[in-house]
Amino acid sequence: MPQASTISVLVVDDQLTMRALIRNALQQIGFKDIREAPDGEEALKNLLAKPANLVISDFNMPKMDGLALLRAVRSHPPIRQTAFVMLTGRADRELVQRAVQFGVNNYCVKPFTVQGLKEKIEQVFGQLT
Amino acid sequence: MDELEAIKVTFFQECEELLADLEGGLLAMEEGAGDLETVNAVFRAVHSIKGGAGAFGLEPLVRFAHVFETLLDAVRAGSVPNTVELAAVLLRASDILADHVSAARGLGDVDMAASAAMAAELEQWTDPNATPTAPAPVAAPTVAEEPAPAPALIGADDDAMDGDDLGFVFVPQTITVEAQAADAELIPSNVWTVSIRPKSDLYRKANETALLLRELSRLGPIKATLDDSALPLLQNLDPEAAFITWSVRLETDQDETAIREVFEFVDGDCDLEITRGEGSVEASIAALTAPAEPVAAVEPIAPAPEPVEVAPPIAPPAAAPVAEVAPAVEAAKPAAAAPAAAAAAAAPKATPVEVPGPGQSVIRVDPERIDRLIDLVGELVINQAMLAQRVGEYGIAPSSNLAMGLDELEQLTREIQDSVMAIRAQPVKSVFQRMPRLVREVANMTGKQARLVMDGENTEVDKTVIERLSDPITHMLRNAIDHGLESPEERKAAGKNPEGVVRLAALHRSGRIVIEVSDDGKGINRERVFGIAVKKGLIAPDLQLTDEEIDNLIFLPGFSTAEKISDVSGRGVGMDVVKRSVQALGGRISISSRPGQGSTFTLSLPLTLAVLDGMVVDVAGETLVVPLAAIVESLRPKPEEVRPLGPVGSVLAVRDSFVPLIDVGLTLGYREESPHPTDGVVLLVEGEDGSRAALVADAIHGQRQVVIKSLEQNYQQVEGVAAATILGDGRVALILDVDATINLRRREGGAPRPPEPSLIAAE
Repeated sequence: MPQASTISVLVVDDQLTMRALIRNALQQIGFKDIREAPDGEEALKNLLAKPANLVISDFNMPKMDGLALLRAVRSHPPIRQTAFVMLTGRADRELVQRAVQFGVNNYCVKPFTVQGLKEKIEQVFGQLT
Repeated sequence: MDELEAIKVTFFQECEELLADLEGGLLAMEEGAGDLETVNAVFRAVHSIKGGAGAFGLEPLVRFAHVFETLLDAVRAGSVPNTVELAAVLLRASDILADHVSAARGLGDVDMAASAAMAAELEQWTDPNATPTAPAPVAAPTVAEEPAPAPALIGADDDAMDGDDLGFVFVPQTITVEAQAADAELIPSNVWTVSIRPKSDLYRKANETALLLRELSRLGPIKATLDDSALPLLQNLDPEAAFITWSVRLETDQDETAIREVFEFVDGDCDLEITRGEGSVEASIAALTAPAEPVAAVEPIAPAPEPVEVAPPIAPPAAAPVAEVAPAVEAAKPAAAAPAAAAAAAAPKATPVEVPGPGQSVIRVDPERIDRLIDLVGELVINQAMLAQRVGEYGIAPSSNLAMGLDELEQLTREIQDSVMAIRAQPVKSVFQRMPRLVREVANMTGKQARLVMDGENTEVDKTVIERLSDPITHMLRNAIDHGLESPEERKAAGKNPEGVVRLAALHRSGRIVIEVSDDGKGINRERVFGIAVKKGLIAPDLQLTDEEIDNLIFLPGFSTAEKISDVSGRGVGMDVVKRSVQALGGRISISSRPGQGSTFTLSLPLTLAVLDGMVVDVAGETLVVPLAAIVESLRPKPEEVRPLGPVGSVLAVRDSFVPLIDVGLTLGYREESPHPTDGVVLLVEGEDGSRAALVADAIHGQRQVVIKSLEQNYQQVEGVAAATILGDGRVALILDVDATINLRRREGGAPRPPEPSLIAAE
């Protein structure tokens, strides 16, 4: 059972508000090492400079969207094993299917609760302590 | 909970920026410049507002944003054509969205009926065949939005919440942290990509690439790839030119300097690029952000890295974590987004809504910290002045090291003061960006067609001034549309474009900020203005006035030219109020007009309210500062110019008018008995309402810039005194409130009220 506090997370969203909310939820779950990036491009640079265990990314962002980020992560060997959870709206079914093809680990439909997010992460890492 | 409240504050700040983005994008669309990128940016803005609002349970906002977003999504998908008419509707919708945001913030109400009507209109656009849903029952004409319950959901997207699966089978891909770690360990510690493109000079100097590669191989195992794609056909080949590029993958424990040393002797003769890892990040990004290829073409993700591919080491955290959210300071992207939006609003023809580069990071600082800094610098300025005065008193030669060092200190102090002021300076666009909506609304209300052109939104001015710019600008714009522009029919008859142009511009001129509001309307009807002024008893009928003077009659209290009372520039407020509020800030306002071609209001304000240009005077042994903006002139009265009026009062003849004489010392209670005005100096001042007075002082010391210290904060309010300051010699001096002084005197009846026209409630 992995400890949430040992897992490093990168939160990617162009919205400051959403990043703050997700960070807040992650802290409630027990995560300590949380970083943020405002778009896919910054996220990729960030990951290449310092890998993370988990990426939680929005889809619709300027410059490089969540799908492009996922592809980029999977094609950079040092970070290709990074767990990737995509945040998506209900209407974006097709998007999730594409994300699956690109090797997304899990997805989380907005709106979600802290508990819901926790479950999504646990489905990837196993039960968190 | 507190943290969530803090996030909510962030959300509303972000909303402001998103609304500005939204409006900028929509204005671009209205100009017919709405490409897909713009539509997408517009969609994203509404989507983001909805997402955040959902998280905080702001129901009415979410509902309206949802309808709005649905239509934008359809436009994005191309199922609803992107037309100019649509953009006009969307602009009105964005106004209502802004109202919802304000209401959710507790700063106003939403006209729920208008909101419901707009929602229905948006739905019609989304699906013209759909019967409009019955508008929500309107409980009250205006309803403030309910405060949100504690947020439970993050990033609400739809009202419905029934499970989180999207109706297909998906098995979450499990992964363990250990696996990631093990994977990371497989990666060799140091891989470099060295790209070498020799120039012809390299060969001309008898260097040889093979030797360079051999040197490189001494650092570690290499794998060189030759790129001959630039090599031309033999018939086109210039034998003396260089065409070949090597890409070398090098594994070494040495650092970049060691690699560069290999190329020491060919420096400048070849293009050299050394990057960590396999190829550059930028190249990957470029490749990956290229138009998406069909999904089918993407190969499945390999479970483990292929042995050939090697990767950069897990670098130490050299790059700073992006956007650590700290309470006060925070690397912010949205702030940088605003200029782009404003630029788009100003020049709607610039097609895409720009996105700021990652390098443009902005620091957000708690304004209180800056205010504190400005206070401290103010103290520094005072201290420095005191030191200089002391040195002067001790008779130290100006050429001495001490005096020269002090001069340098003065220079530095002044630079620090300017720099600190610059920190608090903000572009006027925060005020300007609210104006397009105002123009739309006023134009609709008055049945005129108006287009707003803005210029110089990035002109910076102190935040204390910014906050007070909004009212005068609003007034001037209203006035320009309501009184300046003709109706579309009149314009057509005059051979003009039925759509009038109102221009709002900001610029710096001689240490002040100048705001200009001009229109291309009919200009001021001088005959009528003069007639009205006479009719209302504001001026004598036989008065000879220049054109400019007639134009400026509209600033007289009680003047209004509107023949019918409109609820636009009206509201019982005339241009005199604007003038008064501008003067209160140490500003000036004037108008110039050309018949048939339009009018221009020019407003000039000091760049800051933290310092003040003042005249230092002596009154009954006390030192006072009189704001320079209020002073018309200073004079030494001759005995024959002073005429007694009533038992105690007297007036001063200034050219052909009489001005009440006010002894400041008496008014402020410094002395019981006034000296004769001819023994002192008289400052002719003009109050905010245009009334003049002659202030009697004992002596004038000269003009000085002083740092304003609030009396209310440090002591208490004193009538007749605006604030205080500290002079170079360390003494506290009071800054005179010219208007209060004039009024104080009037109330006490010490001097008769100047012959004032009886004010007619004109509006």
